[in-house]
Amino acid sequence: MNRFQKFHQSVVVPYLWLMPALIFLLVIVFLPVAVSLILSFYRFTGYELNIFNKFVGIYNFKFLFHQRYFWISLRNTFYFVGSMTFIQTTISLFLAIIIFFGNFKYSSLIRMLIFFPGVLAPVSVSLAWRKILEQDGLINQILHTSYPWLSNVNLAIWCVIFVNIWQWVGYNLVIFYAGLEGINKELLEAADIDGANWTQKIFKIVIPFLRPTIFLNALLNLIGSFRAFDIVYVLTGGGPAHNSEVFTTLMYYYSFAPNGPSKMGVGAALAFVMFLAIIAFGIVRIKLLKEQKV
Amino acid sequence: MKSKTLSYGIRKQRDFGFYIFSRIVIVITIVVILFPILYIFSVSLRTKDTLYKSKFYLIPEAITYQNYVDAFNYAKAHLDVSFFEMFRNSIICTGVSITIAIILSAFASFGFSNFRFRGKELIYTLIIATFAVPVQASLIPLFFINRDLGILNTYLAVILPYIGFTIPIATLILRSFFEQIPVEIKEAARVDGVSNFQMFLKIILPLSKPAIATCGILLFLETWNEFLFALIFLQNPKIQTFPVALAKIAGGKYLVPLGIYTASIMITVIPILIIFLIFQKWFISGVTLGAIKG
Repeated sequence: MNRFQKFHQSVVVPYLWLMPALIFLLVIVFLPVAVSLILSFYRFTGYELNIFNKFVGIYNFKFLFHQRYFWISLRNTFYFVGSMTFIQTTISLFLAIIIFFGNFKYSSLIRMLIFFPGVLAPVSVSLAWRKILEQDGLINQILHTSYPWLSNVNLAIWCVIFVNIWQWVGYNLVIFYAGLEGINKELLEAADIDGANWTQKIFKIVIPFLRPTIFLNALLNLIGSFRAFDIVYVLTGGGPAHNSEVFTTLMYYYSFAPNGPSKMGVGAALAFVMFLAIIAFGIVRIKLLKEQKV
Repeated sequence: MKSKTLSYGIRKQRDFGFYIFSRIVIVITIVVILFPILYIFSVSLRTKDTLYKSKFYLIPEAITYQNYVDAFNYAKAHLDVSFFEMFRNSIICTGVSITIAIILSAFASFGFSNFRFRGKELIYTLIIATFAVPVQASLIPLFFINRDLGILNTYLAVILPYIGFTIPIATLILRSFFEQIPVEIKEAARVDGVSNFQMFLKIILPLSKPAIATCGILLFLETWNEFLFALIFLQNPKIQTFPVALAKIAGGKYLVPLGIYTASIMITVIPILIIFLIFQKWFISGVTLGAIKG
């Protein structure tokens, strides 16, 4: 085998197999992300032919940080992402343990029912809940009240959080359940013989065993909820008066919304902020993925 | 639904407290999960004059399918897009992007699993790094790429990003599956003088049907319900996918009659419900695998 053949075999052939996917990723993902970072230093509305015309330095960032909405959306994103990471993970872990140890006759049916909202379009889910949370909606009918859940300045974001947990709790549950199936049964039986009670078994055996799965679920929720858009957009539209806006919806408002200010540069700046906020967690996720492979 | 008593699970006599507690928790959870969907379904079946009359909020006094007929007509009259067209659009966008994404990922996975070459793990890290990227960070440049390619408001405008953003998860799953295929099978083929491409097509792919199906389900969930790209890149009503069109029917400025509103939601829920019921095992194993591996 001469040098050329060797090069052909060890470089050209494998890269030919990778090429189509790599080109796609480069053009659709990496290039746009890089360009987006650059665009955050330009001012443009989306209608001009050359968007790299007006370099404005850090003007977009200054503008953004002076907006009250930015700080509201930061707070809401924090609530939203925090709730998914901690509350949703805890609820689903709790449910998984109950179902796993509960000896339910219809265990897989129960899991399927709780998982079901996860396959629905967030748009369908949000529209359904919007009707249910309305002033003459189901919740108020049951409670005999007429509370404006979605148009209360402080409550709106928590309604979004509730609906999001409602939709995705089964997703974490299914992952936890799969994790629980790998638990060491002898250990639990030995604990039984030693007369350990349930609190002890759950906190001393089950939860330590599930620690990697808990971490995985929390991380998945964190990264996933950071991207969530549909649910806020449809449920509250970021309202009332931008009080339930999160980063993603605020970015849409600045860049694309028909009734928005068409400040795409500010939108790009916000995308930059999001990118920075999420990248550390993304790296942890990649590390995890690499660890169980290779 | 096998009924089996797990030795490490709870026993009715011994753990009576936990037994009752677990039943109560699961009953409440299932009611909270199912009640909203059943309520929307129930409203969608009510006649105009019994819309607000029902037993236990769920059982209608008089049943009609008129709301569904009205919803079809309403969409046609007010949105320039019928339900048939929006589902056709969704099927095209989802079907084409899943197919291409899986083919490209299978190529790439074959490259990763079958060759040793320089930069292999670096490239692989780069591919899964996409998990760390919020889609919003690529949104603005993608909009201009689409515009300058002249494909804004065509199916391609969403198909390309769908492919780009689903390749990583598909590659992750397929690579790990391809690597589990026993070396003996590959070596036997090599001895017979089979080319790389024949090996890929005749040996690897047929053996990988379950992994490909899992991938298909996962990518289907990601793309079928996708909203943000479709909202921004498909502004022409005729080619809008169902989440965008639905958000406009039920979330638009006009006050939509309650019957049509709920029927529209159900029209988008029922197809996925049927698919879910048929493939539920695949959905759950797909999500579990996707979470652990992807």
